[in-house]
Amino acid sequence: MNDGDNWHPVGLSHSIEAGSSAGTRLFGQELVVWRDTSGMAHVWEDRCPHRGMKLSFGFVRGDHIACLYHGWQYDRGGYCRYIPAHPDLDVPKTFKVPVYVTQEQGGMIWTTLSGNPAPLAVDRDQTVPLRSLYLDCSAQAAIAELGMVKLVPFVSRGLADTVVHRLTDTLYAVSTGGDRLRVGIQAISETRTALHVAICGSPELYEGSGQSHFLDWALQLRRAIQQPRPRAPAARGAAAEMN
Amino acid sequence: MPGLVLYNYELDESCYKVRLALSLLGLDWQPVAVDVFPGKEHLTPPYLAMSPAGRLPILRDGDLVLHGTEAILAHLARTHDPSGKWLPPNGAGFAVVMQWLNFSAHDLGVTIAARRQSLFDTPGDEAALRAASSHAIRIMDDHMTARGFARADWFAAGHATIADIALFPAFALSRDFGIDHDEYPALRRWARRFRTLPGFKTMPGIPDYH
Repeated sequence: MNDGDNWHPVGLSHSIEAGSSAGTRLFGQELVVWRDTSGMAHVWEDRCPHRGMKLSFGFVRGDHIACLYHGWQYDRGGYCRYIPAHPDLDVPKTFKVPVYVTQEQGGMIWTTLSGNPAPLAVDRDQTVPLRSLYLDCSAQAAIAELGMVKLVPFVSRGLADTVVHRLTDTLYAVSTGGDRLRVGIQAISETRTALHVAICGSPELYEGSGQSHFLDWALQLRRAIQQPRPRAPAARGAAAEMN
Repeated sequence: MPGLVLYNYELDESCYKVRLALSLLGLDWQPVAVDVFPGKEHLTPPYLAMSPAGRLPILRDGDLVLHGTEAILAHLARTHDPSGKWLPPNGAGFAVVMQWLNFSAHDLGVTIAARRQSLFDTPGDEAALRAASSHAIRIMDDHMTARGFARADWFAAGHATIADIALFPAFALSRDFGIDHDEYPALRRWARRFRTLPGFKTMPGIPDYH
């Protein structure tokens, strides 16, 4: 699944406020995710072409993002439009940050490293944001553990099985009874993975107590995945043999 | 000596907490610059007489000489904030502020050690300090995620308190010791709000632009 042609979630929409930016990585490649003041999200290479400074350290003004070092400002297309030290300069088009195709769907910000991607196959259902979990393991290992903590229903309040369902290479559903969580899989690197979790349904139903209810599950899952595994009995046997 | 005097080192995040409190409360105060690095002036006899453990900040308020960051924040709020908001007088508000002041004094100690190790090359296991620091910062992010679901913007009350002041520098300065803000969305949101408080000031390591 770790090819650049896929669509990959790089954060919950809720996590990037208008007029703000944050850094992230996809397969080790550094990206800046930022949202202009009109609300449009952008995913770019996280590097100012001037001195290599991370643009995620910078600041957003209107539909421009500016580098913290020398204030070079880039427009939505990644083109440098203003250099404070040379205010009258008509900046050459070659001063450009590589930009990636970006879409928002299902409460997440999606990007692809491909120049010619297939359409994004994520449905347009309403979602309510929950939490992004950052884990020290591979994407495959995280996916394998998605069902390890039982999901307690919120709507029906009864007992139901926890079912994990693969929607695409980078999007899974974890459901129980009438409730469904959507989990976006971001391969930050071979050993680091983000799970972006949203609740499927309306804000009227889930905002507040529904979010708090499922936050418990998310934090339990993070603990369960990150806790050191008990050593296999063989290790004890080997120690006994040595004695 | 009348009024408020802060024995201050500009690069010390604990001194910054007190500078923030003085500014957010709108108080008049005098700084006394202490040559911590490289001079180690805070370990000389006049300073050890005021703060035996050799730590800054030290606050002089009239005849009172006080050391201990959280004690100084609590004193300023209780004595110099007529609104009573920065340290709620009683009930759960008071208790939860004290809980996060305790977290700041105890659990965030690793972030201070990590930053000193990074900036001044003091002894310490860099990787272990960084791991412990990101664990503590993640506890803060989990808390503010839950607070967001309860439509609450601040750590301990419906408004900013000295708990927010005590916790802000560890996150705002985390890049000094190699921890980016990328994985802490609830704290990014909180820090953006914190920066809009009237009287907010930065320190070296916290950008003026954001």
